[in-house]
Amino acid sequence: MNFERFQNQSRLYVIGALEPDEVEEFEKARKKFGKKAEDFITECYALHEAFALSLRPAKASSAIKERLMSMVRERK
Amino acid sequence: MYRKAKKQARRKGKWETGRFSAPPQLQPGAPTDLELMQAIQAEDPDAISQLYDRYNGILKALILRVIHNEAEADDLLQEIFMEIWNQAKNFSAQKGKPLGWMVTLARRRAIDGLRKKQAYARAEERLQNEVEQQPDAWVHNATEEEIVLGDTRVLIRKVIKGLPPAQQQAIDLAFFRGMSQREIAAKTNTPLGTVKTRLELGLKKIYDGLKELKDEL
Repeated sequence: MNFERFQNQSRLYVIGALEPDEVEEFEKARKKFGKKAEDFITECYALHEAFALSLRPAKASSAIKERLMSMVRERK
Repeated sequence: MYRKAKKQARRKGKWETGRFSAPPQLQPGAPTDLELMQAIQAEDPDAISQLYDRYNGILKALILRVIHNEAEADDLLQEIFMEIWNQAKNFSAQKGKPLGWMVTLARRRAIDGLRKKQAYARAEERLQNEVEQQPDAWVHNATEEEIVLGDTRVLIRKVIKGLPPAQQQAIDLAFFRGMSQREIAAKTNTPLGTVKTRLELGLKKIYDGLKELKDEL
């Protein structure tokens, strides 16, 4: 697998769209390309952020935060 | 004064360098996301409270897009922020920004939740009834979070909407429904190779488009 192919596969990998047989090949290439590969994968995760930021924020029930904070204080 | 600061932040609309997408513009002196994460790692409850205020709307929208159920989305949102609190020690700034980490975690939990409840059929029905659920049609009063994120959302949506509908659909099913290429092929009655090509081309266009946007701003 060349690096361009690896880049294409990385974008599929971060959204979980690689098929199992492709994951194996992808992991081999990931090892082969080392840090360059890791840096690119990290960059691809920004796609997650972009997809989330493309949505209009939704309003959560006000009780949620109260429950969350009460659990956090209990756990602390 | 406060309103003026918001207006300026909106006009500025700058994206962070080195990454594609922008966090909400912060008021002067407000802690950055990274500072909040570090404070959460040090078990400061006020930090998770601030992080919640900053991002609950985005994460709720993401969850809702996956599971299409308001009450379940609220419950999951609470569980996700609890997981952020519990798992904060696993966050590493070298591997990305706090928002990216949170979105990845929220998406995984939402898709797991959808699968666990075997709610595909119900979600499918709702999806059709809700005319694509359209997050833009979500009606509520604009929050500060929404105002500051408005410009970013428009820009990102412009990139996504620039794709052919078939590519948008493939990416939507993969990202928001957690479907594999084979599942997408079966659902859309499309050859597997075509699905793969649609995903690859669509994701590359979004990736390149976001990069261009970052360079322009």
